[in-house]
Amino acid sequence: MKRRAYMLILILCGALLQQVLPPIAPLGGMKPPILAALALHHALRKGSPDFWMAVVLAALLQDGLELGSFGPALLTFPAMSLLARRIRNEIFSDGIVTQLVMGAGLGLFVTFTTLIIYSATGQRAIPPALGFLRLGGSMLLGMVTLPIISRGINWLESLIPKPREYGWQ
Amino acid sequence: MVFRNKKSIIAVAAVVLLVVVFVPLPSLTLRGKGVVRGSVAPAERATSGIWRRLSEAGAAIRGIGGTAEKNMELSRELIRLQTELNRLRDAEADNVRLHRALNFYRKKPDTMIPCDIVSRNISGWWSTVRIGKGSRAGIDSDLAVISPDGLVGKTTEPTPFTTEVLLISDPACQVSAKIKLKDKEVYGLVRGTGSNLKGEPRARIEFINKDILVSVNDEVVTSGLGAFPKGVHIGYVDEVYRDKSGLFQYAEIIPRATVGLLDYVFVVVPSAREVPE
Repeated sequence: MKRRAYMLILILCGALLQQVLPPIAPLGGMKPPILAALALHHALRKGSPDFWMAVVLAALLQDGLELGSFGPALLTFPAMSLLARRIRNEIFSDGIVTQLVMGAGLGLFVTFTTLIIYSATGQRAIPPALGFLRLGGSMLLGMVTLPIISRGINWLESLIPKPREYGWQ
Repeated sequence: MVFRNKKSIIAVAAVVLLVVVFVPLPSLTLRGKGVVRGSVAPAERATSGIWRRLSEAGAAIRGIGGTAEKNMELSRELIRLQTELNRLRDAEADNVRLHRALNFYRKKPDTMIPCDIVSRNISGWWSTVRIGKGSRAGIDSDLAVISPDGLVGKTTEPTPFTTEVLLISDPACQVSAKIKLKDKEVYGLVRGTGSNLKGEPRARIEFINKDILVSVNDEVVTSGLGAFPKGVHIGYVDEVYRDKSGLFQYAEIIPRATVGLLDYVFVVVPSAREVPE
């Protein structure tokens, strides 16, 4: 219960941090995908109810605090997390190379899907050059963000005292 | 069986999501967003307060901020403005008396709602900020948002406790404007063009008459058409170009009010035209 509460608080803090951070102009004005990284981190490590809770909350916060229609995060976060869960037994989730590759994929997938949704619904016309810049930028940002978030959460979770087990000793 | 159920649940959820994404239901979307934004607003307010304090402290430590000097300068400006306000109040009272005497139609002054900025855009796809007042404070869509530096943008998606402000540098923000020249005024349409690689917000005034000479540093202000007040500073002309069609010219402008870190803004609520008794 305590861990679940920590998880939810962490996601809220992630949303607040993502909003406070300035957009990075040379990377197409994108921001580090903290919420997406949090969702992916929990997808790779948590059991079913906690994973769904984390993913849906992160997606709701991302879409709810964003202008435009609900959807980009609600579609991409669960899709990406389900995919990650399918392969989580075949990869080293804590390995830096795995996290770099998954971070890049995460940034690319979320931005590409958002680009498609915004273009298809006519909410935003993105010039092709800016679109490519954003795709590249979010790939780089994903590569940087996921390892940092993952290590940060692991460190924070190690600080939470675990309940003592009184079994056979 | 369980697997099949799981699969069908995922399929149904995917269909619902696709409907949510591609079928526009603005009022329902806004209600949902209102719930999310309303619940997060107190935390956002606290975070923005802490962030502001940290920025101020950082600036004070670096000695760049010059808080004391700025404070003194603002105090002097406040005194000057209060004097000006008193003079204008007298003038307005005279004006109202004369209008009544002549049985003219009179227009109430616009209402300015002061708002604090509680957060910025979460993903970088839009150039927006969120203010800590919403429809309960009388804020509606498409109202002008100004700061002491000039036009900031316009309101959009008001929820009961918060409102999004689409900055003038966002491509979705369009405002009727005019360039103030020495002997005349030339009209055009200001549209945001995002940020440059340095992160500076940019906008463009389009559909300017090609026969009129527009120069760098000419002032661009709102024209007063629509719900926006007249004569609000937007920025200065940076570069002038000829339109591809050759029929018009356009000019790049740097919107001054969105360059710095904004803390407080005012939402301008236009008053309805009032008929005297």
